[in-house]
Amino acid sequence: MFLTLFIVNSSGGLVYTRQLSPLAPKINTNDSLRIASTLHSLHAIAAEAAPVKLPGNKNPRTGADDGIEVIEAGGMIMQCLQTRTGMKFIISSTSTKDDLSEILRNLYLLYTENALKNPFYELDMPIKVDLFNRGVDLLVEQFHSGNMR
Amino acid sequence: MTLYSFHIFDRRGKTLFTKQYNAHFHQKVSSQSEEEQRKLVFGMLFSLREIMGTLAPPNDGFSEPTVLQSVKTGRCTVHVYETISGMRLVMYTDNFKQSDGNGNLAVRESLRYIYANIWVEYVVRSPLYRPGDLLAVGDKGEDLGSSNRRRFDIHSTEFEKRLDALVTKQKWYK
Repeated sequence: MFLTLFIVNSSGGLVYTRQLSPLAPKINTNDSLRIASTLHSLHAIAAEAAPVKLPGNKNPRTGADDGIEVIEAGGMIMQCLQTRTGMKFIISSTSTKDDLSEILRNLYLLYTENALKNPFYELDMPIKVDLFNRGVDLLVEQFHSGNMR
Repeated sequence: MTLYSFHIFDRRGKTLFTKQYNAHFHQKVSSQSEEEQRKLVFGMLFSLREIMGTLAPPNDGFSEPTVLQSVKTGRCTVHVYETISGMRLVMYTDNFKQSDGNGNLAVRESLRYIYANIWVEYVVRSPLYRPGDLLAVGDKGEDLGSSNRRRFDIHSTEFEKRLDALVTKQKWYK
C-alpha cells in the first residue's frame, strides 16, 4: 500500500505532494513543505556522512547525485529517485519487501509527459496539472491491483 | 558484506564509542573531520526519526512501530538501533543483498545483542561506571580540574574486545 508521494525540485522546494491511499497520514501544507526540504538536505548529508561514497559523488549509470536511496523503518519503507536534473521523487509505502523503483520510474515518465511537456507549466513550480493528477491516481491503482493478484 | 564502522551515540549526540573497521575502504578523512562526520550522522538520524514519525501510517496495533532502521545510500547502508534511553548504536556496512532478503535484520539483531549483552554487561555493570560520566571520544585533551565528575575510560572494560569477538564471528562479516 503506497502512502505518500513527494516531488522535490533541485532547490529543495516542494513541487508536488499527494496521499496515495487512505492509510496515509494527513499532513498540512506547512509540514509537507518542511518535510520536503528536510529530505532534500538529508539526501545530501547522508552521502557526506557515509564513510564510502560513489566516485565523484555521482551515480555513473543514472547521473544522479549520491544520497539517500532507501529508508527502512519498521512497517514502512521510503524510496527516493533522484534524476539527472536534481529532481527527487520520494514515495513511501507500507510494504517492506517490494522494490519501489518501478513505480518511481513510471512517475518520472508521467512527470515528463504531463508536466514538462505542458506549455503552461513553469519549471520548478508546484504542479497543478489535472492530467498529471489523474495519471498518478491511475498508476497507483494499477500497482495496487497488480499486487493483489 | 563488509563492515565499515560502528558508533554509539548518547541521547544528546555525544559519541560514547567509535571504531573503524576495514579502513582501507574508507575515503581519507582527518580526525577533526571524523568528528564532523559523526555529528552529521547523528543529526541525520535525529531528523530522519522525526520525519518517519510524521509520515508513518496510523498504528493499528498489529504492525511494527515505525522506528528508523536503516538508510541506504549509493555505496553503504547505515543501520541504527535506538534504545529506550535514547542511546543509538549505529553501524555502517556496504550494500549487500542477502538471498533471503533479511540481511538488514541480521545486522539490527547484532546491534541489539551488542547493546544487551556487551554494553550492559561490560560497561553499565562495570563498578567504575556511573551513567553520564563516560569518557567521550575526543575529550582526551580537556582539563578535568573544574569538573567534579570522574571520567570513565571505556578501555578499562572488555567492551571493545568482546565487540570485536562478536563482530568477526558473524556470518556476514568479511
